[in-house]
Amino acid sequence: MHVARCAVGAIALITSTAFAQDTSTLASRLDKPTYIAVTAIVDSARIAKMPTKPLFDKALEGAAKGSDGPTIIGAVQQRWVRMGAAKQGLGTSTSPDEIRSAVTALEAGASARDLARIRSAGGKRSVTLPLAVLTDLISRSIPIPTATDLVLQLMRSGVRDGDLSTFQRNVRADIERGADPTAAATTRARGAIRSNQPKPGRSE
Amino acid sequence: MLDDNDGRIEQIAHELKRAERVSSSFDARVMRAVRSLPRHARLTLWSRLTTPRRISVTPLSWGLLAASLLIIALATTRAVLVEESTNPAKPITTALFAAPSKKQTPQAVQFVLVAPDAKKVAVVGDFNGWDPKHAGYQAHHSGGGVWSVTASLPVGHHRYSFVVDDSLWVADPIAPRAVDNDFGVTNSAIIVSAQE
Repeated sequence: MHVARCAVGAIALITSTAFAQDTSTLASRLDKPTYIAVTAIVDSARIAKMPTKPLFDKALEGAAKGSDGPTIIGAVQQRWVRMGAAKQGLGTSTSPDEIRSAVTALEAGASARDLARIRSAGGKRSVTLPLAVLTDLISRSIPIPTATDLVLQLMRSGVRDGDLSTFQRNVRADIERGADPTAAATTRARGAIRSNQPKPGRSE
Repeated sequence: MLDDNDGRIEQIAHELKRAERVSSSFDARVMRAVRSLPRHARLTLWSRLTTPRRISVTPLSWGLLAASLLIIALATTRAVLVEESTNPAKPITTALFAAPSKKQTPQAVQFVLVAPDAKKVAVVGDFNGWDPKHAGYQAHHSGGGVWSVTASLPVGHHRYSFVVDDSLWVADPIAPRAVDNDFGVTNSAIIVSAQE
């Protein structure tokens, strides 16, 4: 029984090591009242079995930029709310990577409904990269409804993550060469969808 | 006279040679007195550590112990892999277990900033805890005011910024801006995808 208790304790220790490291980093960078408030939010995430790293990141960002405690707490709180919205939009069986990607998309302006549509279009596949591509398109000044529709079209036509990455790189390159962002994205999406269609059989 | 003295000496010698008779309770009384003396703390601990003990262990306990050791080994190896693959200062070592899948493998990304007047440039972001002193993200000046650093970033969407001379936050001129601006300083955004 004593050995069993030791084994269970060892397992718990390992899983909490990374969390303890993040917490100690936070403690060294925030003043005590801010640290207490932020860790209370982080504890809520832990209890809800949600990833805590996005919350730590937001607090560390605020500390690095010299923001005051209330601003940091507000930003962390807002991110926590968005994480809840992300999980609601994507469904209960959402991975931590998907939640992080969804939070970024929400912060860029996508809605929970957009997340749900992307989840529906993706089926069982991970939506981490499609959401990251959506966020990237929005950040390049492509209107949110257009960006969402393009990503949905790509997913529904079966474009995989590798081709989605190629599409995003091509759009970026076109914009850097001076192309209109929406035109570049629409053109490249059309090409990616066409490339993904099965080629018709030859008739003899 | 001499005979009387000899006799007495012999009597005394005979008494001295006679074996002492110890009462049966003597040993017990002595040990009681010894045990009641305060023992040195280190001796107590040392004797506890060196005294052999018998331990009974059930098969379930053995199984849990073996599982925990396996988890510790797996977690340690994974932590080493992630740390080494994201810290350019350390070489990549051979993994004892299967390497992370391609999707999880961090990708090398080069950050470049033209800042002729800068004395120091660092890259900070959600991949290094926004730490401008992180060893793996200090840019090197390669002449002509061009600062660059190549770092390993996990696959996904990231926010980052340059920090010039430990005080000035500069967005990447060629990268899109991250839309959120919680702290009054706009970040740049980058999407890192797995290489084919």
